[in-house]
Amino acid sequence: MMRFIRPRLRKPLLGGIAYLGIAAAWAIGSPTWGLAIVIAVVAVGQTVAWYAWTGEDTDESALLGSRADERQKQVGQRARALAGAVALAAAYVGLVITLAVKRADAWPFAVMLAVTGFAYLLGLSSYGSGEPASEDEVTAGHQTRSPVNS
Amino acid sequence: MRNRVREQRLQREMSQAELAAALGVSRQTIISIENGRYLPSLPLAFTIARFFDLTVDKMFDPDEEET
Repeated sequence: MMRFIRPRLRKPLLGGIAYLGIAAAWAIGSPTWGLAIVIAVVAVGQTVAWYAWTGEDTDESALLGSRADERQKQVGQRARALAGAVALAAAYVGLVITLAVKRADAWPFAVMLAVTGFAYLLGLSSYGSGEPASEDEVTAGHQTRSPVNS
Repeated sequence: MRNRVREQRLQREMSQAELAAALGVSRQTIISIENGRYLPSLPLAFTIARFFDLTVDKMFDPDEEET
């Protein structure tokens, strides 16, 4: 589906949809729709503002506009890694404090801690062992001539 | 690691934006490479070297520190 959306519009649109999700959740769970309408208006405004921002000549706008080069992608990955580490730490601190104060409300922090921890392990599994463990030519008895000292 | 990107670019009287467009990267990335804050990937290093008709080891010198 994302292929049919202009790359420059993808992330601003996703951000807007995320906000609209919050607005919808508020509208469902609350008797008054006032705040939901405000959030929806902010969502539309944010989408337009982000789209305009993608036209600028900065690293952030390149990432937001899905036109980042290799260095900018690396910057984005580092920022995501930092966000993940902070989320993990925040979930841990939240769990510890909530357990100490009021046990019943601790489960969301426990879920966040478990999900972020599992995502880290999933990342190690996905990105860390991409290469299949093939046998070394030397140990397999097919010793090749070393380019060094030849 | 020292590189000769700025020197080569100035020899050809190119702006950072023009070089960035020619290499398919952002102007900020050219600035980072020239300042030694970013080491390009091997494919990009080859692209840069070929663009200036140099070899990678002539373009990027691992033995010299960026000043």
